Amino acid sequence: MDNSTPDTTALIIDHIDGILPAAEKEQLEKQLSADNRMKEEWENLLATTEAVRLYGLQQKVGTIHHEMMSEWQAPVKTISPVRRIARYTLAVAAGVLLVVLGITGYNFYQLSADKIFTGNYSYYELSNTRGAGTEATTAEKAYAEKRYADVIKIYDSGNEAGQQTAFIAGVSALELDNSTRAIACFKEVIALNRQAGEKLLEDEAEYYLSLSYIRNGDYDYALELMKKIQEDPGHLYREKITDKLIRQVKLLKWR
Amino acid sequence: MEVINNLPDTELVAKLRDGKSMDEAIRTLYRNYFGNLCWYVMNNSGSRQDAEDVFQEVVVNFIDLVQKNKFRGESTVKTFLFSLNRHTWLNELKRRGRALAREEKYERGQEKTEMDAGHYIADREGKAEVTRLVGELGETCRKILLLFYYENLSMREILETLHYENEQVVRNKKYKCLKQLEQMITEKPYLKQSLKNLLHG
Repeated sequence: MDNSTPDTTALIIDHIDGILPAAEKEQLEKQLSADNRMKEEWENLLATTEAVRLYGLQQKVGTIHHEMMSEWQAPVKTISPVRRIARYTLAVAAGVLLVVLGITGYNFYQLSADKIFTGNYSYYELSNTRGAGTEATTAEKAYAEKRYADVIKIYDSGNEAGQQTAFIAGVSALELDNSTRAIACFKEVIALNRQAGEKLLEDEAEYYLSLSYIRNGDYDYALELMKKIQEDPGHLYREKITDKLIRQVKLLKWR
Repeated sequence: MEVINNLPDTELVAKLRDGKSMDEAIRTLYRNYFGNLCWYVMNNSGSRQDAEDVFQEVVVNFIDLVQKNKFRGESTVKTFLFSLNRHTWLNELKRRGRALAREEKYERGQEKTEMDAGHYIADREGKAEVTRLVGELGETCRKILLLFYYENLSMREILETLHYENEQVVRNKKYKCLKQLEQMITEKPYLKQSLKNLLHG
């Protein structure tokens, strides 16, 4: 129920609007503190002006809100069926490409010199180097008994010099994870063959030398040798040097 | 149109407080913060439309607080808006009766690290109802009250805008309109507290 008089209400509104003369303002404030009903009307009217202000603010923000949303909203375009099919095709192609790239990337990061070496290295069986009825050398006996350090010692002593001892010393070095030493041994086999005009264990030495280079991180040397083996139709290890192996070694160069 | 995306907080707040370049300051709020705040709502069970509505409400509340000097710059505008946005959206979720347990847990966890913006947005529905009633006023009344109480125009300026005979006519019209609105609001007893919240909230 509204018990206020128009005069009082007008005074209250003037007070809220800040246009009430000082004397009347002071008198009104005394009345407000003494009269709860009047004070309630003052509070209600003040809150009403606050509601108007808030409404104005909401309208302003609302206008800018719609403007901003329209600005950001991309225009909706109709797409012809042909373009839609082309888009789907492109999306599928992009998906396949992503999968291929993902697999390639995964393989790239999984690739290592040790993995390539292990995948291509096989223990060299002695029976391949010596015919029946011929007595094995001390180095060959040590190799057969897997005493690789002894094989290298015998090779170093020079007592059993020759391509066979150099070769099994190279394989022994690989068994002992000493690829630098293995490289020297296999090179020795090739050098001795050159001096003697022979080809004894030449193909074997070249293949194991290429593997030793890979393990040692000498990829350029390894690639050069592998290409030589691949281009030699009569090479014993030609089939082992696949294009995939060469690609993997090339990839290793980028790691 | 001037684009001011990188206003320092102090300048942005000043523009919102004094009302000068208000439109551009509001656009700056949208350009700088809508994306992230929208992301929060959309990643917490909200739709794009929810995010837009919440952000609009957050901007209104923020400007209101700035103009009432209740934002004192103790946190950055960004932090404050994030807090308002989070509280507004969680309130809305609760209202819809599907507040997520993890969000409530998150809310509890944040209480110590952020200012409590929750009380600023209390009684959202009551406030919305009160301002809705302003929209229900006749167009002339609404215009006079807005020009005077929101645009802060003088009686003379309103007279020039609305072409009344004289200032006294405008003054009387404003008196009647304000009284009419007050009655519309106070006729609804459940809005009594909302009315008080407009003053003190």
